Amino acid sequence: MTLRDGYQDRVRRIYRFISENFYLNRPDLEVKGERYNSALLFGILTALYGGKELIIGEPGLGKTTSAEYISCLIYGIPLGVIWGSEVSGHPEQTEEKIVGRPDLGALNQGREVVVWSNFVQLPVKIVDEINRLPETKQSMILDGVDRGNWEYLNEMIINDEYALFATANYQDRGTNTIIAPLVDRFDVMVESRHPGPNLAFYIGRKSRFDNPLRHQEFEEKFHKLLRSQIPYREKLQRLEELSEGFRDYLKEKVGIETLSKEERFFIRKEMAQMPIDLDANAFMRMVLAELSFCHRYGQKRSVEACTEGCHYTGYLCYHVKNCASNRLPISVIGYSQALAWFLEDDEVDLEHVRTVLPFALAHRIQWRDSYISKKEGEGRNDPLQIYLAKEATEEIFHRYTEQRDYLLDALAIASRAFEGEAVEPLEGDHPIYEEIKKEIASLR
Amino acid sequence: MKNPFEEFRSHTTRSKGKELPLDRILKAKEETLNQILKGYENLLKNEAKDLVWLMQYSTVIKAYSIAEEAIKGINYAAEDIEEFCYVLDKTDQVPYLITGPAGVYISALCNNAQEEEIVLRLQDVGIKINLLGYRLPEGKRLIIEGNVGDFTGISLEGGELIIEGSAKNYTGAGMKKGRIIVKQNVGFNTGHGMTGGEILVGGRIKGLGKVVGGKIYEKGQLVFPSDDYRPFYF
Repeated sequence: MTLRDGYQDRVRRIYRFISENFYLNRPDLEVKGERYNSALLFGILTALYGGKELIIGEPGLGKTTSAEYISCLIYGIPLGVIWGSEVSGHPEQTEEKIVGRPDLGALNQGREVVVWSNFVQLPVKIVDEINRLPETKQSMILDGVDRGNWEYLNEMIINDEYALFATANYQDRGTNTIIAPLVDRFDVMVESRHPGPNLAFYIGRKSRFDNPLRHQEFEEKFHKLLRSQIPYREKLQRLEELSEGFRDYLKEKVGIETLSKEERFFIRKEMAQMPIDLDANAFMRMVLAELSFCHRYGQKRSVEACTEGCHYTGYLCYHVKNCASNRLPISVIGYSQALAWFLEDDEVDLEHVRTVLPFALAHRIQWRDSYISKKEGEGRNDPLQIYLAKEATEEIFHRYTEQRDYLLDALAIASRAFEGEAVEPLEGDHPIYEEIKKEIASLR
Repeated sequence: MKNPFEEFRSHTTRSKGKELPLDRILKAKEETLNQILKGYENLLKNEAKDLVWLMQYSTVIKAYSIAEEAIKGINYAAEDIEEFCYVLDKTDQVPYLITGPAGVYISALCNNAQEEEIVLRLQDVGIKINLLGYRLPEGKRLIIEGNVGDFTGISLEGGELIIEGSAKNYTGAGMKKGRIIVKQNVGFNTGHGMTGGEILVGGRIKGLGKVVGGKIYEKGQLVFPSDDYRPFYF
């Protein structure tokens, strides 16, 4: 059960503050009667939960900006430091600029000492235009993106607290494809959209020089500390002390109370303890079944195409090429818990999962060409990938509502079978029932 | 082994069997089909006790009135009629198939159906059912995909009967008004005793019966009445 300890209120004030002052955009997402901007809401959830978010959109529509303000306010780091820690994607990017480099002075004296980049050292990271990194260089940041483990020479930094934002432009001459293993490591994908002409005009009139989230003195102190060669653990402690000072400044100057490291950890703990109700649980199983099941080949594999005339052509498994990875449920459950926490709900329910799912699926599903050609001309407000994921979510949700009681029974009976009772699994016309039967068969 | 369903342990199962929405629809369909079959069996008990059904004017009238009585109260749709035709052909649910009473019964079902237009896709039905379209009333349109047997569209009462394949002998016999369109061929005695309406045959007519009135066309050409053909008056 969520504790009403005021943190949600504080986070909501941060959301409002950013949406009214820095990232002006229209709400495009309704959750339980309240309207939010998806890029901002998921950005804040990413920073709080410690997730990885891919922000797509046209150039100049606030992809990086939204991530910068969120990082600054949730992590209490001056904007200038966030800017200085960003990695920009371009073909000439090197490991030395992203991760770390040898200390040349020490090297001359015969010692191998790594000078870690600000990007690696800070708990919140932004990779700007990630799809301008060539495919070969994307592999370089795979492990860091996934686990927050960064290696250089024989040294290693493990981020105990870690959130990542990456932005990507739509395909043009300078962009590359983001490799599948890297894409899968992002928990969610959102679009930073055009705010509409009226807000755009208002943005154009705003002063570029007076940003309250910048503080030169704090920024210099942060940079100095990050450059220093004290042990990383100690450095983190000092960073937190500096952050505390900056947070006090923010509270005084702009009236916004941000979060300390301890508070962020506490919030994450609360999120992780958020129970998941049976509907959300069963619905997720249904989704995973449709995205991993193959009647003919045992499971979905991107190298094996569906055959014509399969009984399950009406389900998503027929329209997708790849298999859902185990990161998908981690992302959906984690973000649903974060959303339920943010909305001060007692448990994760269907609405939370239904809201999060399209954003966790959009970048992960590889649709069959035939399905894309069928759907791409349809009228929509979202980019194709998010639109298709929303459609898929609603399609499965529709099936779930039709079969809810029966599916819950099937799962309950399966549970009894696992406890040793001699029961027969329920039959049904959905991949989930086949998967339940497989589980029960594995007992015998 | 880890129980991956343990959260559902406390869920009390409510559904007694495997009931899905599709199951409910199928169950309702099955009930309707059973009622239709029961009516047909009653007709056979009354009209074909010795597995013999003599095709006579009076027996057809009697069979039709029994059929109409049997289907009263059954809530069926056009697809149920089609399903019945397949059951007649493919399963052993019906003890005996006699194409005469079967055709009368199907005609009664079509004539009393709620739909104004009925399509029966009978291409895959092995038997050729007789007497289809019997007394098809005005305002009804019956389209049959596939071939049909003898006495198709007899005593037509103003409806439109379209046969996408071929029909056998006595097509449109005794029809009063309405239209029969046969896309392919028809057999002997076509339009025998008809007094009105039209028969349009896209293919070949093997032979006309003793036609009283109406019009018969073969491949777009009027073959009755024609200059060298004298109408037969009873």
